[in-house]
Amino acid sequence: MALSILERFAGRADVPVYLAVGENGLPRAEALSLRAGLRPVASPRAAAILVVAGTPRPEDRHDLARLHDQTGRPRATLWWGALRSFDHGSFVDGEADPLPALRGLWTELVSKQREDEPDLLPDVPPNPWRGIGPNGQGGKGMMGGTPYGRPMAMTDADPRDGLELDAYTAEFGPFLPMFPPGLVLNLTLQGDIIAKAEVARPAMPQPEAAWSGRAMAARVVALLGLSAAAARLRAGGMPALRAAGALGALRGLAPDAEGRDLRERLGRWLEAPDAPVTELPSAPLPALLHGLEWQEAMLTINSFAPPRLTGQATETAAESAA
Amino acid sequence: MTDLIGPALLVLISLGLALGLRSYGALADTEPGRIPFIGGAAPETHAWQRFHVRYYSMALLFVAFEMEMMFMYPWAAVYVAEGIKALVEMGMFLSILSFGILYGWREGLFRWH
Repeated sequence: MALSILERFAGRADVPVYLAVGENGLPRAEALSLRAGLRPVASPRAAAILVVAGTPRPEDRHDLARLHDQTGRPRATLWWGALRSFDHGSFVDGEADPLPALRGLWTELVSKQREDEPDLLPDVPPNPWRGIGPNGQGGKGMMGGTPYGRPMAMTDADPRDGLELDAYTAEFGPFLPMFPPGLVLNLTLQGDIIAKAEVARPAMPQPEAAWSGRAMAARVVALLGLSAAAARLRAGGMPALRAAGALGALRGLAPDAEGRDLRERLGRWLEAPDAPVTELPSAPLPALLHGLEWQEAMLTINSFAPPRLTGQATETAAESAA
Repeated sequence: MTDLIGPALLVLISLGLALGLRSYGALADTEPGRIPFIGGAAPETHAWQRFHVRYYSMALLFVAFEMEMMFMYPWAAVYVAEGIKALVEMGMFLSILSFGILYGWREGLFRWH
C-alpha cells in the first residue's frame, strides 16, 4: 500500500532521460530538452530512459549497446525516429512528439508494469583478473596487474612543465553530451590536460539548423554553466550574457583562421542568430586541443561547426597517412 | 534494561528498512553496467593513476605563511608589555619573510601551470 503511493508519486516526477543523438537528430533533441516533464541528465547512469534521437552509424552501434547497459536500472529505450540496432524498447516517429511515450514508459517502469531491459553485452570483465596474482590484482608487481580487468596507466610526456606522470588514454564519444554527436576523439590526458588528441570518427551529419549562430551560442553558454541563459537562447530569447560576467573565460580561446577569439565570435553569432556558423579553425583539431585543460578543450570543440572542425582534421589525417 | 529498548528498536527499524528496500529494489550489478561513462566507448586503462597536482607549490606557500601567523599569537601577548620594540621586531620578521614571497613571485609560483 505504502509502496503503491510512492510509485504514484514517482510516476509524476520528471523523467530522467539520456539523449543519445544520431544522424539529423540534434535540433529536435535540443528542442526536447527544453520541455517540461522530463529531465535530461549528463550520464546514462542517472537516467531511466535512453532516448535515441536519429539513427546512429553502423560503427556506433556497439557504443550504443554499451550506453544501454550503463543506463540506470530499471531502464527502457525509446527509439525516436531511429532505426533499431537492438530489440528492446519502443518506437516513436521522428516527426511525432515523444513526450507522451516517455511519460508512459516512465510510469510503467516505476510501477513495475514493464520489464527491466536486460544487458546486451556479456557480463565478463575486459580482462580476467579475479584470483590472479599475489594480491588478486590480476598480475605481478605494482604496475603489472590488471585490477578490475584493466591494465594500469603508464607514464608519458607532459605538455606543460615536463613532470612525467601517468597518462590516461581513451576514446571519448560518440555520445558524450559535450561533444557534437558522433565525434570520437582518442585523447591522452595528463590529469585534466590534453596531451594528445586524434580524431577517430568525425561528427554525424546534422541539418544546417544545428550549426546556426543561436544553437552554437547556446551550447557554449551551457558549457559555461549558464544553463538558464542557454535554455532562453534555445527558446528564441536573447539573454543579457554580458551582464553574467562569464564571457571573460572565452577571451583568447579557440582562435579562428582570421584570429578572432571565441568571445568575439560569440558576439558575431548573436548578431546574426539564424545564419550558419562558417568560421574555420586556425589549426587542425589535434593541434588546437594540445595542452588545453578539459573545459577549454570542450569550449574549443563546441565553437566550430563540426563539418569545418573535423573536415579539416580528416584532411590532415589523410595527408599524414599519404 | 529498559534503557536498551529504545536503541534496540532503532536498530531493528533500520535493519528492517535496509532489508526491505533490498528485497524491493535490488538489481544485479553487472560488468557492462560498471564501465565508466565516456560517451559509449570503453577505457583501455585503469583510472587508478598518478597525475600532476598543479596547485602544489601554491598550497605549500600558503601553509608556510599560515605558520607565520602562529608566531603572531604569542607576539600579541608580548606586544602589550614591550610596546613599540616588539612591533619593530615583528616588522623585521615579516619583511624578511616577504622577500620569500617576492622570490616565489619571480620564479613564477603564482602563475597557474
